[in-house]
Amino acid sequence: MTTTQTIVREHEADLVVQDAETVADGVVVLTLADPNGAELPPWTPGAHIDFVLTGDLVRQYSLCSSPSKPNVWRVGVLRDPNSRGGSEKVHIALTAGSMVRVRGPRNHFPLVASGRYLFVAGGIGITPMLPMIAEANAAGSDWRLLYGGRERASMAFLDELGQYGGRVTIVPQDEEGMLDLESILGRPQPDTLVYCCGPEGLLRAVEKFCEKWPSGTLHIERFTAKPQEPTGEVDSSFELVLQRSGLTVQVPPDKSVLTVIREAGVSVLASCLEGICGTCETEVIDGDVDHRDSVLNEEERASNEYMMVCVSRCRSPRLTLDL
Amino acid sequence: MSQLASSRGDRIEIHPRNCWYAVATSADVGREPLGRRVLGTGVVLFRTTDGTPVALEDRCAHRPYPLSLGRVDGDRIVSGYTGFVYDARGFCVHVPTQSEIPVGARVRAFPVHEDGTFVWIWLGEPALAGLRPPAATPWLSDPAWATLGDEWETEADVLLLHENFADITHVAVVDPYIAPPVLRTSPPPLEVEVTETTVSFSRTYEPAPIPEWQAELLGLPADAEHVQREQGAFVTPGLWVDRWDVYVDSASQQSQIHTFRFTHAVTPISPGRTRHAWRVSRNFALGEQAGKVLRPIFTDYYRRVKQILETMQDVLDTDGLRREVNVSADAAALQVRKIIRNMVADEAGTGSRRAARMSRVPDGRPG
Repeated sequence: MTTTQTIVREHEADLVVQDAETVADGVVVLTLADPNGAELPPWTPGAHIDFVLTGDLVRQYSLCSSPSKPNVWRVGVLRDPNSRGGSEKVHIALTAGSMVRVRGPRNHFPLVASGRYLFVAGGIGITPMLPMIAEANAAGSDWRLLYGGRERASMAFLDELGQYGGRVTIVPQDEEGMLDLESILGRPQPDTLVYCCGPEGLLRAVEKFCEKWPSGTLHIERFTAKPQEPTGEVDSSFELVLQRSGLTVQVPPDKSVLTVIREAGVSVLASCLEGICGTCETEVIDGDVDHRDSVLNEEERASNEYMMVCVSRCRSPRLTLDL
Repeated sequence: MSQLASSRGDRIEIHPRNCWYAVATSADVGREPLGRRVLGTGVVLFRTTDGTPVALEDRCAHRPYPLSLGRVDGDRIVSGYTGFVYDARGFCVHVPTQSEIPVGARVRAFPVHEDGTFVWIWLGEPALAGLRPPAATPWLSDPAWATLGDEWETEADVLLLHENFADITHVAVVDPYIAPPVLRTSPPPLEVEVTETTVSFSRTYEPAPIPEWQAELLGLPADAEHVQREQGAFVTPGLWVDRWDVYVDSASQQSQIHTFRFTHAVTPISPGRTRHAWRVSRNFALGEQAGKVLRPIFTDYYRRVKQILETMQDVLDTDGLRREVNVSADAAALQVRKIIRNMVADEAGTGSRRAARMSRVPDGRPG
């Protein structure tokens, strides 16, 4: 039995690369626009889009332009020699005038209203911070940015950040060593939100520091899957109830919840299939979820209210979802 | 305070503030002060001598008396009780009893945007107004379109209006006369498209007759069958733009598309109360005579919708929340709710959107 009466999908469009500029060693900034000059969908700081490079090569890039400019989007892409092919392809194939398929925008790294912010960026992780900082600054919030990179020449957007003067601390590793997280995160401060984006090592370190901070303080965005600790357990099968659709199906050990939902003919949003982009977040009505994504924090996992159906599973015999 | 049930029975008590809301029509705002309430805040509107619309908090800083009960003097507004005078930025510039202005004597001034049809204001973080371009509705002033409409207050929460616009399958039940006959048949697949802050949906219907009144306006045989397409778009928490296309084939050329565009500017006055300005635009039968035929048809329909939503609000107020059954076709409405909840959570500064969504009514949980 299938239910195909409702199809839910994200906005997708073919955009033209208006400009491709190398702004730092290994970092290209692409300016994207609708080929007919139409306005692009609105977004807010922290939003990202997918580049659909080929059928299964999908990569996420944060928007680093301004929501006040609806005709162009800008993304910064680091050429990563150890990458899985996405950034290589972007650097080689995308030049001024070429077309790229994009999906989104979506935002799992929203700038929540606060009087005070600490922004911590490592390398290309600076990109989502640019519109956040512009907004925090405009709103008169008290903020600081700690921005680390391998060496000065590899660090993008230093010119743009120059306008903010002493609020920004630039730390090229070859000149000044690692970011001094202890100095800004060592002592929890009230009413302050921490935003961090960068390599896994930095994210882990910041997560560690923020354990002592009030819950809800830390906002993180990952663009690669968080390493999962092996449990040694074998995936089991369980029953899946799709409540709104009125369907009950079985999830075998070798299939994801997402796959089974789609095989049942129910439309559900999904993008990265690795538990990093947050697109397939689904409301859990009942069941003991085995979270395996890189999006939800500990508190959100413990609440058992939402799950990423592309990677997460269920420990109890039955999982009921609001689909 | 009224509350609405979401799919899991959680409570939504506030509306997003970081949004442009249509507070009045352009014609409503003139040289006389106009008092309006938006998101629980009193706002006074007037135009300066050069015609620029101004929106200030509608309360004198000295005594709790609405500025809208005072008078406009040049580019300033004078309180009808204290005689305090405020400029267009909200700064007090004159006090009757002394020559010095008390430090900090001012009222809030709200960012304003005027597009020729509506005056939109921004009650959220003022610095963000410039970073969120207002949505454009150019067809409302384009001579290629003929537009009719009205505005009124609906005694129902704006979320009930959103849910109404997010699914038009009820039109055939509410008003069989206005409804295209295809709405009475089994609907084709609903396609829902989402972005971070918008939701749109569409359905394309197999060739079928159009309503009698529309066939008459177009001079088409009543039983002729046409492909029809419905589209709806939640543009912001203050604006829906929907359309109904009728594809009419002609022997000599490609099919012509006769379009109704429905613009709904919805502004929360307070929880449970909404200002609703509706406009029906068409790119066919542009003459006045057609307008005279269409106006009562659409006015009756939207009045009926208003009454139904007011009845729903009354049920909620009287009997309280109850977990509601959702169906697959509610996908658009659920996405709209999610966007609104996220906006409210981000503005409230609760730290995490999901944490903000976690406050549930225990009774609302399924067993």
